[in-house]
Amino acid sequence: MARSRLGVDGWIALGCVALLACCAIVPGMLAPFPPLAIDPTGAFAPPSMAHPFGTDDSGRDVLSRVVYGARDSLTIGVVATLGGLLAGTLLGSVAGGSRTRAFGPLRYAADRFIEALFSFPGLLLALLLISVRGPGVASVVIAVAISTAPGYARMVRGGVRQMLGSGSVEAAQVQGDSTARIWRTLVLPETLRPVLVLATLGVGHAVILAAALGFLGLGTPPPAPEWGAMLNAGRPYLTKAWWLTFFPGLAILTVGIACTVLGRALERREQWQ
Amino acid sequence: MVGAAAVMCIVATLAFVALQLIPGDPAEAALGGPGSQASAEALAAARAEFGLDRPVLAQYADFLWRLLRGDLGISYAQKIPVAQVLAGAIGPTLALAGISLLLAWAIALVSVFIASGHSRVARTIASALDLIAAAMPNFWLASLLVLLFTGMLGWFPAVSTGGFHGIVLPALSLAVPTAGFIAQVCRAGVDNARSAPFVESARARGESEAGVRLRHIIRHGIVPGLNMTAWALGSLLGGAAVIEVIFARPGLGRTLVNAVIVRDIPVVLGVVLFAAFAYIVVTLLTDLTIARVDPRTEARLHRVVAGG
Amino acid sequence: MSEASNQKMRIATAILATLVLPLSACAPATGGDSGEPRAAIVYATGDGEPDCLDPHVGGNYPQALIATQVLESLVSLDENGAVVPWLATEWESSEDGLTWDFTLDSHAKFSDGTPVDAAAIKTNIEHLQDPETGSSTGYLAVQQISEVEVVSPELARLHLTRPDAALLESLAQPWVAIQSPAGIERGTDENCLAPIGSGPFVVSSWTKQDRIVLDRNPDYSTAPTGFEAASGDAPEQLIWRFIPDATARFAALQSGEVDIIDNPLPEQITTAEDDAALAHLDAPRPGASNRLELNSGQAPFDDKNVREAFIAAALVNPGIETLFEGTATRSYSALSSVEPLNVQSPEFYDTDPAHANELLDQAGWTERDDDGIRTKNGERLTVRFPVTGSQSTQTEQALFEQIQASVREVGFDVQITLLDLGAWYGALGAHEYELVSAPYTKIGPDVLRFLFHSDATVPAPSGYFANHAMIENPELDALLDAIGSDQNPEARAAAAQAAQQFIAEQQVILPVYDQQNHFLYRADLQEFRALPTVSTPWIGQVVAG
Repeated sequence: MARSRLGVDGWIALGCVALLACCAIVPGMLAPFPPLAIDPTGAFAPPSMAHPFGTDDSGRDVLSRVVYGARDSLTIGVVATLGGLLAGTLLGSVAGGSRTRAFGPLRYAADRFIEALFSFPGLLLALLLISVRGPGVASVVIAVAISTAPGYARMVRGGVRQMLGSGSVEAAQVQGDSTARIWRTLVLPETLRPVLVLATLGVGHAVILAAALGFLGLGTPPPAPEWGAMLNAGRPYLTKAWWLTFFPGLAILTVGIACTVLGRALERREQWQ
Repeated sequence: MVGAAAVMCIVATLAFVALQLIPGDPAEAALGGPGSQASAEALAAARAEFGLDRPVLAQYADFLWRLLRGDLGISYAQKIPVAQVLAGAIGPTLALAGISLLLAWAIALVSVFIASGHSRVARTIASALDLIAAAMPNFWLASLLVLLFTGMLGWFPAVSTGGFHGIVLPALSLAVPTAGFIAQVCRAGVDNARSAPFVESARARGESEAGVRLRHIIRHGIVPGLNMTAWALGSLLGGAAVIEVIFARPGLGRTLVNAVIVRDIPVVLGVVLFAAFAYIVVTLLTDLTIARVDPRTEARLHRVVAGG
Repeated sequence: MSEASNQKMRIATAILATLVLPLSACAPATGGDSGEPRAAIVYATGDGEPDCLDPHVGGNYPQALIATQVLESLVSLDENGAVVPWLATEWESSEDGLTWDFTLDSHAKFSDGTPVDAAAIKTNIEHLQDPETGSSTGYLAVQQISEVEVVSPELARLHLTRPDAALLESLAQPWVAIQSPAGIERGTDENCLAPIGSGPFVVSSWTKQDRIVLDRNPDYSTAPTGFEAASGDAPEQLIWRFIPDATARFAALQSGEVDIIDNPLPEQITTAEDDAALAHLDAPRPGASNRLELNSGQAPFDDKNVREAFIAAALVNPGIETLFEGTATRSYSALSSVEPLNVQSPEFYDTDPAHANELLDQAGWTERDDDGIRTKNGERLTVRFPVTGSQSTQTEQALFEQIQASVREVGFDVQITLLDLGAWYGALGAHEYELVSAPYTKIGPDVLRFLFHSDATVPAPSGYFANHAMIENPELDALLDAIGSDQNPEARAAAAQAAQQFIAEQQVILPVYDQQNHFLYRADLQEFRALPTVSTPWIGQVVAG
């Protein structure tokens, strides 16, 4: 039964992720106010029934901005993770692939390339890319994708190596199946299943990384609601209006935890199967 | 070793490719971007000075040769060698990263120690705390720590320069998320070891519970954590970029963020290359250390030294 | 309790103790309250870090801040705006206003030992006028000077091409400060690192992105009238730190790590006023007010109705009240309220969204797209607004966001882009803006000529032009010329008032407030003041009480 396999924590995490996804897809239905609607006379209102997360320095509703902020953060997280997965799968397949002599140098190069990418800390790589390309969402997505790719590449490489040496692949080769068919039906599906589970965890990290860039003022331009940027904007008012920094941070934390718990629950399920 | 050298070579190549990707005229970038309104003569002079008028391959060879000699170029903004810019900033950042790493291990060990015990409740709580710690954005944690320790308690300054007193909050902000990761990785090893035969036999020999936990379970469990040292150091260096800005600490991270804002690409590149270099060296060192600690990996030691 | 769990407790306690003890051992914060005399005064600035410390090169406010500590000008101002002696002890102009004689303080010496003489004045004016120097602010200030004649070492005669009523005010500015000719001769690169002057401090070293260390000038004797050299027990050094992050800067002041900060956020000013250990100095800058300039040189603001609609729709006052918490007052003039000739005309800056909608309808922006943005012939009513953190504080940026939100109600799409200073200058130079906020500091109403004269649409040697409103009008030019050259003070005042009226009618600016210039400092510092010229901090006299 799926329910027991995912576990209680898994289901709660799935609920959180679903809620965040709703925020991202139909923010208008969940947010009580438009995210950019100002009300200078109602600035710095502490959390109340009308404004559960309070209001910011321009009287904007913090809850609404956190809800709308989910769109940017989650989109960046998901798209960057998909990009990282794609690049990682390609690299990992080359590095783990065909054992023929001709492929040797290519495999070696791919191996070292993965290690080289690993040696760049994610945030630093992102900052390098931003200084080259200029700030903005696209830079953030590309940077996060590149910095997560080597992790996936390593897993794919291991999985591919294991599959290529397995009995089922040998059996298929004896049967005379083409290499392309073996990869399509056996190697990639088997290898990618655990990698996809890992990617769930990856989305959480990608969101945190993107928020760090937003915090440094290098992400989405103002006044768009972006969690990292909101957190930074609230920092001067830390003692006066703690809710400006607290709630956007809580949102980031929630995404991180929910993705990790869900990823682990999926991993457990995977192992049982 | 050969492998590490190859990796460094690729790292340098990636850096060079990044340089080539800069949109617009690199000579103009060297003179301060489009805002500088540089004259045609000044652009030509900059091109000659930075060798930008030569073929790409020649520039690449030149770039590698200069890197080999530790020459990272001239900062666009500060007009002094990048190596000189970095030299002043490396010390405080390494101190911060080092202390954070130790602190992270200390926190992680406490958590792992609790996890190695029998109490299910304690294990669950420790595991939940690890989870929260690992997902904690360090810049948010920094704000909350400042609110608590500076704003409410007044124990530590919110600005950190020199002295141990000022390093506590930045180190803690960096250490907690890292500790969460290390503890999570160690936990799997600890869980396996708890029910392993050698633990049973140690108990049968009458070793004390704490002794069993310290000598056998934890020692077994921390190896995967030790393996992450290079990764942890890299992520601490990355985190330093944000934390140093928040606590106004001089260092590589703040240098980097300032350089990104004014698009001083040689400096950005210098910091990133330094971090990559540090990662590669630390990986090599941890591999050697673990190999020495753990006889099972002696074969691996040969592989590392031989450059597998 | 079993023995095993007992031991477990002990180990856990030991581990916790090793973690917590080093933290608690160093708990009592010492900071700057130790009572020991300071070896150095630490000033933390949030203004940008200059590329060059020589204020002749370019000429912006961050340079003026440091130049005030190192260099001195010919004349200064007192609190009432009257010109008072500094390096020049007296001066006299001819009947026609074309020659000016300046008598120099015969004791004045640069810190390299060379005398401040007429030849030095000549070298400095020529340095400012040399296109190679790349001066923009100082260059404009000495534009009318055709020649400096060295009559005697103590007497410099300035020949002008036409009368300049603002000459003394111009010469009082730190961007026209007098440097040692020997320093200038070293060439731009070296002089930029450590200009040599006669001021209270001497540049000792400069660690980029961190600090400039300045040593006290032991022979300092030439303070401007109303100020004096510090007493013997004043700190020997001034440490000038760059801490761009406002929160970190204020925290450093609170902890006593720094003694003086500039550019505090309003929230911090109110906090400091409640804190006995801190003091507040409010010194609004002279010259122009802080204002949004509407680029009338290109669509859509080339249509006066659209400009008027923008100004009528922009909600400014409630934002100033909540964001600035009473630390800033709304301005309705192109001139700073510090300028005696400023004319406040609130009647031109009423907020009236209904009127704004009518005006936009009249101007042909009748359609609205799906986002509620007005369109005309398929064009969106888009306004590009480049903003740089070096010119606008975080609080000001929040105000801009409020203005952006309020004009959106009537159908404007304001696109704020955050740029670094270089890219920001680039965007202005390429006319890639419809709206901009560019503070401009200069003494006297003559600043209007710099900001609104058609000549100011042409870039200075540095590439900068100050007429961002791109207003070119012969009638206004005539009024502005009169401010600059009319010898009759009354006629000059009338011209300044008429020009302000004209600018308000044209609706090319949206004044916001005076250029905010607040300093917070440790309350035990004595004699910390701002120079009445351009309100830069005077640290030469500060002693720790």
